[in-house]
Amino acid sequence: MDFRPLNDTERRTLLAALRANAQEDRAILMDRRNTRFVGTAEEVPEEDVINAVKSVPCHY
Amino acid sequence: MWSEAIGLMQRMWQQLLRVIRQFCSPGPGQEQLAPPPGLGRATPLRRLERVLVSSAVLQSLFDMFADHRNGDRGEEETGWVLLGYRREAEAVVLAALPAGTNREAGIAHVRFNTLAQAVATRILRMRDRQLTILGVVHTHPGSLRHPSRGDYEGDSEWVKLLRGKEGVFGIGTVEAEQEDNWLPMVAQPTDNSWSWRGLRFDWYALAAGDRNYRPIPVQVVLGEDLARPFLPVWETLEWHAAGLEELFRRLSGLRIEACSDSDAAGLNSYLSVSIPLEDGQEIRALLHGPKMRFFYDDGEQTYEASGEPPVDRGIFLLLAELARRRELCQASVESEP
Repeated sequence: MDFRPLNDTERRTLLAALRANAQEDRAILMDRRNTRFVGTAEEVPEEDVINAVKSVPCHY
Repeated sequence: MWSEAIGLMQRMWQQLLRVIRQFCSPGPGQEQLAPPPGLGRATPLRRLERVLVSSAVLQSLFDMFADHRNGDRGEEETGWVLLGYRREAEAVVLAALPAGTNREAGIAHVRFNTLAQAVATRILRMRDRQLTILGVVHTHPGSLRHPSRGDYEGDSEWVKLLRGKEGVFGIGTVEAEQEDNWLPMVAQPTDNSWSWRGLRFDWYALAAGDRNYRPIPVQVVLGEDLARPFLPVWETLEWHAAGLEELFRRLSGLRIEACSDSDAAGLNSYLSVSIPLEDGQEIRALLHGPKMRFFYDDGEQTYEASGEPPVDRGIFLLLAELARRRELCQASVESEP
């Protein structure tokens, strides 16, 4: 197993992503090919979206 | 006296330095934790300034509006739910989900089949979790190109559920006969409207607390209609929406795709529901209108299984049967000498 130290940019990005994950429930994205950390996604909570769709009012 | 004056000057200089440092340097830990540009940065949503509509979505809206008017219920109002991205001061429309055959509508109102639209939203969000609901388009029978008072009563409460507490609202109308109605291209009569072959959509925004809708500029950008693959199977989706919603709520890893094959009778479109199991096994249901067929793939061979409607019941019974057979196999292995 190879342990590679993160460079400064990677370290900052990871810290920002961990903080966004903890505070805003945003997903931490991973590169499928090598499991490398690639950032965070601005996801929208599923049930918020579905609730809004189901609540569309009658239109006239 | 001189020493007092020098001491006073030194203290003033140190205070000045502290003030300069306070303004010029980041706070403790701030430099290391600040997210880099483009990644992990939460962009605050602002009031909508424009709407970008994918070219394929605009084409779908015109096509479906024209089909609707030529159909048996062409006198009724109809509409679509808009999905896409909500970013800073803009909304990007990437899908239009139809009101459905099971809508409740008349010449002066339309209530969408929102359960089918919710299931379609779940399907599309399996591929892109950033998709959200942006608003609604609906049609008016006359020439009123602005949302009505009745629309406002519902929308002004509903927008509180949307991202940024603001929504996009389109009104579809039929234009009076004009000389250029035959032109095979869309036209933009105003910043907030697009027309094509006598059909027209006008666009507005409404935020929570607003007293009225405001016209919003709409631009068309080259892009997909993410809902288009599901339009041929929309009736099937409506038939099975309740069962599919139950499956979504209870199972993870559910995959739903639109697929088609052709025979002598023509092109048949299906909804394919698959649930991956361990070791390459899979349960699959094919839905076509009210009909459904169930299959089990053990990784080497596919078997058709008898099933019971609705689709969620059929799949849960199949899962229960597989669990029962696995228990029997384990019991027989353990009892062997």
